[in-house]
Amino acid sequence: MRLLVIEDDATLRESLSRKLIESGFAVEQAADGKEGLYFASEYPVDLAIIDLGLPEVSGLDIIKQVRADGHSYPILILTARDRWEDKVDGLSAGADDYVVKPFHFEEVSARVNALLRRSGGWASSVLTAGPVTLDMSRQDVRVNAEPIDLTSFEYKIMEYLMVRAGQVISKAELTDRLYDQDFERDSNVIEVFIGRLRKKLDPDNSIKPIETLRGRGYRFALERNQVD
Amino acid sequence: MNSLSSRLLVSVSVLLLFFFGATTAVLDRAFTEAGEQARQDILDGHLVGLLAAAEPDETGRLVMPERLREPRLERIGSGLYAEMRAVDGTVLWRSRSALGFEIPAGASLDLGEHRFTRETLADGTPLLTLSLAVDWELDNGASQPYVFKVAETLDGFNAQVAGFRRQLFGWFAAVALTMVLAFSMLLRGLLKPLRQIETEITEIEEGDRASLSGQFPTELKGVARNLNLLIDSERARSDRYRYTLDNLAHSLKTPLAAMRALLNDREGGDFSRRYNEQIDRMDEIVRYQLRKPAASADQLVLVPVPVEKEVARLIDGLRKVYRDKQPEFDVRIEKGMQFRGDTGDFLELAGNLLDNACKWCARRVRIAIVPSSGRSAAASGMVLTVADDGPGIPQEAADALLQRGMRLDESTPGHGIGLAVVKDIARSYGGQLVIQQAADLGGAEIIVSIPPVSAG
Repeated sequence: MRLLVIEDDATLRESLSRKLIESGFAVEQAADGKEGLYFASEYPVDLAIIDLGLPEVSGLDIIKQVRADGHSYPILILTARDRWEDKVDGLSAGADDYVVKPFHFEEVSARVNALLRRSGGWASSVLTAGPVTLDMSRQDVRVNAEPIDLTSFEYKIMEYLMVRAGQVISKAELTDRLYDQDFERDSNVIEVFIGRLRKKLDPDNSIKPIETLRGRGYRFALERNQVD
Repeated sequence: MNSLSSRLLVSVSVLLLFFFGATTAVLDRAFTEAGEQARQDILDGHLVGLLAAAEPDETGRLVMPERLREPRLERIGSGLYAEMRAVDGTVLWRSRSALGFEIPAGASLDLGEHRFTRETLADGTPLLTLSLAVDWELDNGASQPYVFKVAETLDGFNAQVAGFRRQLFGWFAAVALTMVLAFSMLLRGLLKPLRQIETEITEIEEGDRASLSGQFPTELKGVARNLNLLIDSERARSDRYRYTLDNLAHSLKTPLAAMRALLNDREGGDFSRRYNEQIDRMDEIVRYQLRKPAASADQLVLVPVPVEKEVARLIDGLRKVYRDKQPEFDVRIEKGMQFRGDTGDFLELAGNLLDNACKWCARRVRIAIVPSSGRSAAASGMVLTVADDGPGIPQEAADALLQRGMRLDESTPGHGIGLAVVKDIARSYGGQLVIQQAADLGGAEIIVSIPPVSAG
């Protein structure tokens, strides 16, 4: 998943980005409103974390502009302004949730995951499709209640596909969203990971959780168990 | 007597009374004196007539002719009388008109003296008399003293004076009344701009108007301009206060967030944990202090907040934040309900209460806003009730919060800061906070009552 972090305080921005990268996100950073607005409009973004008090262009204006341009990805506000007036302004401008500074990273991470999951149409952080269960908060995948041991990269691919269950995800999108820019862009790597994932999830090839659509990409194929 | 117009009216009435009283007195006196002078001249004429008519007879005594030329002296009871006496007071002659009367003799006169007096007849009729003592020289050179006296009753004259006075009073009273009436109407017109200023200030207080219109006469323009300046500076002050707070919040909290991020990077175990605790404390202090009420009930200008719209905005926002939980909101807001105060303060009140309710509810949240004590929705106090179907707030925690006030390090977990802020804001508007159990939903029910803005 590719996140955009727009925050003018360098220490905070770098630390937050590093932690997000450690949690398995690809992160784009912007230090002011102008740059932030450019990234937010021009880059492929799955979720944006926007500080409200930015130089050049205010966070509120970025949110309004992004929504006016028709982007629907979730937006999490970081705000030092704790008053409801500011929170409500942000939320009605088009943001989806807020975190008040100073925050614990866990709080941001929990909200980011919740927003991503919701944007994929899941109502709970435990995603269930057929025999497969993925717990986003614990980064834990089970098949028929049996825990599956996945590497962090395998988990990321699994989560990305399952959150978007039913959608076709191209190899390019997977590389784009899961790696940072400087990572080797070799689509074979993705194929290898998908292959390993299939083996771990479905050793006897009975449930077929991940479909390959030739020339188009991959799709998590199991029906969601959750209504919502 | 506290109104300008009644003061003016009373002073003008007193002034008019004094002025007209003095004028009446002067006119009355002038009229009476002129009348009396005229009477005296007439009496003088009659006396001269009498002297001319008197003739000495052959014995050398003065006698009056049988008939006098003045008909009033011949008609009985005509009101004009004449007599001639000897010096010792013996009546020598009396006009026919005085038949049956006894004209008072009066004080004796020196020879040649000419005296007007006021006397009364036996029946009380007032008289004006003119007496003259003369030494009548006879042809033979001898002389004999006589006293001639003419008298006229003052009945007619007094009636004339009374009539004059009646007329004078009547006219003056009518004029004075007309003047007072005209003046009071004039005053209404003159004071109209003052009343307009009063109306406009009330409208500003109630938020129906931003500033005074400026459509005032020259004398009031300065006052209106200064009032507008005062209102503007009050608004600016309040904005500046908010702006300063905002900046302070931002400039304090971003470094706090950065400090926390740096600490977390170090993974310093106990050191990191203890530092984090201190950051939490600082954060709570900053949050609590910065969310203090922006306005209060005694502020000069309170702009009414359209409560329904703001609550709708809050609920839209909270639906996003609590999307997983999907609380059911039951909103009961009196139509046209307004909150007289700062929008931010209202959002703090409703936002904190709704946020807590969403956090704790199982599914249902109820918010009700009604005017206090059954007044009209537009100009009244407000009762804000937020309830949920969650576990409720333990009685001890509620009591502690309401009685002791906010102790930062002992705040009720989950409810603490929000409720403390709500309590502070409610108090700054002269209102109060009640925490109880919701009868219908079973969870916490928090009631904030804000009294109406006291008029004037």
